[in-house]
Order: sequence, then structure tokens, then C-alpha cells
Amino acid sequence: MQTDWAGENLQVIRTLMERASLYRRALAPIMLALGALGLAGGVLGHLLDWNNNARFVGFWFAFAVLALAAAFLLARRQALKAEEPFWSPPTRRVALALLPALVMGGTFGVAMITQGAGDSVKTSLIALWLMMYGTGLLAAGFFVRRGIKLLGWIFLILGGFLLLFVHWVPVLANLSVHLLMGGTFGGLHLAYGIYLRFTEASPDPA
Amino acid sequence: MNPETFQQLDKVIHERGRMAIMSLLAASSDHSFTDLRDTLSMTDGNLTTHLKTLQQAGYVAVAKSYRNSRPLTTCALTPEGRKAFSEYVGLLDKIVRQARGKKGFRE
Repeated sequence: MQTDWAGENLQVIRTLMERASLYRRALAPIMLALGALGLAGGVLGHLLDWNNNARFVGFWFAFAVLALAAAFLLARRQALKAEEPFWSPPTRRVALALLPALVMGGTFGVAMITQGAGDSVKTSLIALWLMMYGTGLLAAGFFVRRGIKLLGWIFLILGGFLLLFVHWVPVLANLSVHLLMGGTFGGLHLAYGIYLRFTEASPDPA
Repeated sequence: MNPETFQQLDKVIHERGRMAIMSLLAASSDHSFTDLRDTLSMTDGNLTTHLKTLQQAGYVAVAKSYRNSRPLTTCALTPEGRKAFSEYVGLLDKIVRQARGKKGFRE
């Protein structure tokens, strides 16, 4: 139809406006908070020495809930400050893009406890969680700034490396599973948050 | 389609690159030059040309400052730009509704 271009232009405008509003949504503080929480969780779990499967999974589920709550609170605070709706269509899309991967990761964790897997499976579970989270970020990356996709790939590759080659790297194989979990999840979030903090509203190219 | 409605479309905004710039700026108070360039995957030269056209039409204000001793260019819609963009979107919506009889963009 001759007027299709008008509808397409409206769709482009809508998408760009939604992306622009999400783009500013407190991504750096969220990443910094998740990074700090992850590292703190790693140290705390290591000190508590909760190393059986049920305690390990329960401990990190609790931290995941805490991290989600922190992310929601920070996003909501930014939305209120910018007088934007919090649960907007783009926010919903990002949440829905992340959800399948998070559900799969959670299900694997629960299955590990109920099916009585051996203690040695925890490193593989961390690798799977990393890969699933990376997949979720890649899906969400279609609606948020491009750096998220790169972070998704890094999670995916790191998880794959851990799954396939951890036994070839004695330092990693002998590391406390809590430190491994906190170091990978927390470290990557923290690094991305620091990158965002220093590059937001970056100066013009020289 | 009513040809008069099409004639009323603002020719400055009715170009893909400039429409994209106006859309991003309409959604937020301001954007840095590098943010716009990266988000829209434009070259420096292409973005500069479009911004100049929008500036000459009075739709975009460009401010230059310094951050970490390096120049920082920020762009924002002027009140005229916001009004023109709103009218442009309204006209597109009208064209779509005329042609399809569907719900409007803002509904």
C-alpha cells in the first residue's frame, strides 16, 4: 500500500523514542550495584563455607532476588526522577527477553538439588548460569544500548570456557565455588558499570 | 491518501536520518554527539550535516562545552523543534488513519 511508509516511519519513531528512554535508565548504577552485590556474595558465601548443593543454590537464589530488587529500585528511582513511566512497554520487553534464560537457570539449580547431584557439579552449574544469563542479555540487547550485547557474549564465552576447560586450569578448578560465582558475575557487572560510568556522555572524538 | 496532508509534512524532518535524530532528542532532554552517532550508527560527517540542517531550521540547539579537557557537544530540541516534531508525528498518524482506519499512534 502507498501509505505503508507512514506507518513504518511511525514505528521507527516509536522504537527510537523507546530506546532513548531506556538508554538513560540508570544502567551504570544498576551494573555497579549488581557487581558489588556479586562480589560481596562471593566473599560472604566463601566465609560461611556453605558448600553443599542446597545451601549453595539457596544462597545464590537469595542473592539473585536481592540483585533483582536493587535493579528494580534503581530503575524506578531514575524513572521517577525523569518523570517517565517505570513499567513502560520497552521495560516490559527487556524483562520478558531476560525471563526465559533466568527461568531456565533457576530450574537447573532446583533440579540439581532435587535430583541429588554430586558436589562436583557446582562448577558446571555456575558455567550454565553464566551462559544462560549471557543468552538473556543478548536477547535484551535488542532493546537496550549495544554494550549489553557485548556483555552477553562475554558471559556466554566465559561460561563455555568454564564448562569445557575448567579442569585444565588448576587455579579455577581449586577456587572456592562461591568466589568463582561472585568473581565472574560480580566482576563482569562491575567492569561494565565502571566502563559505563567513564564513557557516558563521552567527549567528542579528538 | 489526501495529497494535501502529504504536502503538509515538514520536509526538514521528513528524511530518515533527521527523523531518527529528532526522535531520539524528543525522548530525552539532550544527547551528546557521540551518543547520537553511536545509537544511530552514523558517521561523524553524516551526523554533522543533518544537525546543521536541523539547526538552520531552528529545530535543534547545539551546545559546546568541555569535559575532562576535551570538547563535548550536546544537542537538544528547541521548543520550535518539539512543536514541529509533534506536528510531523500527528500528520503521519493522520495519514495512517486515513488509509487504514485504525487506531492512532498515541492511542
